[in-house]
Amino acid sequence: MRYMAEANSVSGKDLQEMFTAATGWLEKSAADVDALNVFPVPDGDTGTNMLLTMRSSIEESYQVANNSVSGVAQAIARGALIGARGNSGVILSQIWNGLAQGLDEKETMNGADLVECLLLASRTAYNGLSNPVEGTILTVIREAAEAAKAHAADVSNDLISVMEATVEAARESVANTPTLLPVLKESGVVDAGGQGLYTILEGALHYLKGETEQLKLRRPWMVASSIPLTTKVPQMVGAVDEVPYGYCTNFVIKGTELDPEKLRKRLEKKGLSVIVIGDESAVRVHIHTLDPGDIMHYVNPLGTLHQINIRNMDEQYRDFLEMQKERMPEVDTAIVAVVAGEGLSQVFTSLGATIIVPGGQTMNPSTKDLLQAVEAVPSEKVIILPNNKNIVLTAEQVPALTEKKIHVVPTKTVPQGVAALLAFDYEADLETNTVNMYQAQAEVRSIEVTRAVRASRLGGLDIKKNQAIGFLDGDLVAVADKTEEVLNEVLERVEPDKAEVVTIYYGADTKPAGAEQAAASIRERYPQLQVEVVQGGQPHYNYIASVE
Amino acid sequence: MTVKIITDSLGDIPAEQAEELGITVIPINVIFGNINYRDGVDLTTEQFYDKLAAGKIYPATIVPPLGRFADTYDKVAEETGEIAVITSSSKLTASYDTALLARERMKKKCRVEVIDSLSAIMAQGLIVMAAAKAAQEGARLGKILEGVGNNIPRAHTRMAFGTLEYLRRGGRIGKAKTFLGTVLKVSPILGIRDGEVYPFAREHSRARAIDYLYDFADGFTKIDGIGVEDATTPDEADELARRLQSRFPGETINRSRVSPVVGAHVGPRVLGVAVLGDRD
Repeated sequence: MRYMAEANSVSGKDLQEMFTAATGWLEKSAADVDALNVFPVPDGDTGTNMLLTMRSSIEESYQVANNSVSGVAQAIARGALIGARGNSGVILSQIWNGLAQGLDEKETMNGADLVECLLLASRTAYNGLSNPVEGTILTVIREAAEAAKAHAADVSNDLISVMEATVEAARESVANTPTLLPVLKESGVVDAGGQGLYTILEGALHYLKGETEQLKLRRPWMVASSIPLTTKVPQMVGAVDEVPYGYCTNFVIKGTELDPEKLRKRLEKKGLSVIVIGDESAVRVHIHTLDPGDIMHYVNPLGTLHQINIRNMDEQYRDFLEMQKERMPEVDTAIVAVVAGEGLSQVFTSLGATIIVPGGQTMNPSTKDLLQAVEAVPSEKVIILPNNKNIVLTAEQVPALTEKKIHVVPTKTVPQGVAALLAFDYEADLETNTVNMYQAQAEVRSIEVTRAVRASRLGGLDIKKNQAIGFLDGDLVAVADKTEEVLNEVLERVEPDKAEVVTIYYGADTKPAGAEQAAASIRERYPQLQVEVVQGGQPHYNYIASVE
Repeated sequence: MTVKIITDSLGDIPAEQAEELGITVIPINVIFGNINYRDGVDLTTEQFYDKLAAGKIYPATIVPPLGRFADTYDKVAEETGEIAVITSSSKLTASYDTALLARERMKKKCRVEVIDSLSAIMAQGLIVMAAAKAAQEGARLGKILEGVGNNIPRAHTRMAFGTLEYLRRGGRIGKAKTFLGTVLKVSPILGIRDGEVYPFAREHSRARAIDYLYDFADGFTKIDGIGVEDATTPDEADELARRLQSRFPGETINRSRVSPVVGAHVGPRVLGVAVLGDRD
């Protein structure tokens, strides 16, 4: 390998070596990438699939006689196409297809060529999919390409400099995938395909910079999620990252002198995701293989076989998707609700919300988040409940972005969202429901109690930092030291003697005892009121209450 | 010779009215533990709910054997040559199938036609009562069957539930399963649609649920029958019946109670309204 630091361009031979180095770099972390798996079933071997796809590219590149980057890139693309495994492998082959287009008829590749290649790669990758999902390898290639373009235009179009910007953008993009894809957020992992692509680009950069020692001695970094593990998303349909292939084969061998270690080594040559556990008398085996018969043939002489279970993973995967869909209510019109907090999510789910998009105050979901939820529901008609005044506008962007029929009922608070959801009529059509839900949410009064983050003067009230403040339908109306005090004060403003039902949702940082006490005191003063206390678990707000 | 009407006890027709209109009611059986009660015969609604409140045993229900249906046909055939059997929804009970098969077992010669009401409780009751009235007015079997056919899509019911637990255990919850597991204390409103239990609405308090039932009945224009029934809350039902009576002064409000066989599936505190009529 030559020292490349001064290089402005690379030859076909360099390109081939760069790919070989990148593949070696990926190989070091393939198992870690495999572990980034969000599905309970079946195993998604993303790292392994990408590695095998890369190897197929390398093999093909050695068949090329000429030394132009065009010839090598075409071989790489061809090799990836025939060797593509899994969803990430297929997308990777699309990316190399873009690379080959960008280098068409070129002898060498410079920084400007790389930018062109990355942009084409991004476009080709998106075009290859009927339903591109953000928060995956797609987002990573797109954002990396955009960064490369900006860097070349604004900073430098030196090859290594562009590649550095590309790798850095890819890393940030990978870290950000969980904010785009709730299944990742739920599992607290980054997207496996995105991580794989980042590792390949990083390996290529190490090669370009001549960092052979790095490549030999170090291991690729696994990008950490930019957001911590959060509450799970109920009934979210898993976005499709990885389509498994072949047969998931499980069995137990019973015998007298079994050697699990030896068996594992042999089986690792015959399949993927190999797990062998046990002792001399019994060994349990799990392996993904294209030819379960071959495995059986091999292990049969070792002892007696038990609990043999061979499942086609394609079917298993379809079953998994079906199961996810079955968990959703069978309705003509689906409801997407934006809610923060485990308890409130349960309230909304139990009242028939099809999908919860996590979010609320200070955690506003993007249009993309909402669009993705809308696309995920098994229904052509969807009603969105934003449940926060800062999210209404975002929600209103969604109808223009999808083929589905979307109505937004502009709920600005959680109580409005609950009232709207209660008014949902399973018999009515989309228009009637929208009107009914709009009217219902307009009738409820919303109380929100939180603590001031700084001192201020608002609505004629002097507020010290950390004091409890109360809002009625979004207007600041009360301030006091105790949150319960504020709750009562706001309640007094809505003629509680004329109301029927008060529901109090207490927040993540609020003690249930405080909420119960507040409820008891309200019941005492207004015996005709039905007062209900629910653990909302929402952040920021100590209390959210509805008065009906 | 008047056409005779037979139905099963899911229709919740008050005994006096059944007698007055010449309707023969075949009781469905309610099983508590291993004791088999004939609905409305061995067990009244009060006795049923007392038992329900007293024990932890969930009751089961079973359609009586073919022979009981055939015997009933034979007995009724002593007075007539034409019988219309109007059963509860075939999607909820085995009554319809049993009624059909029983025709082959009867000894007497008599024309027996069986119709699936695709309904239950007072909605079924109102269809049956309208048919019985037509029969008393001299309509022949063909005309009566035609009338029943026209009335099936005109019979509507809504019930405010106290709990969905009995419906769930009895396996009749259908699409209303989406209402299960609600975190908030809501009053589910269910009805029957296309012969099955169907979720219609949820109200945040009992008072609102009762208002929903009133508004539901209020939405009808041409009315041929109204029924109000309760399980364990007669005062609520009486008050609702009074409100509906002043809304529809010309109509008779049929005040009924859910039969034990219905009670086994809907549980306590159910309050229902049924209307035979046209909606806007």
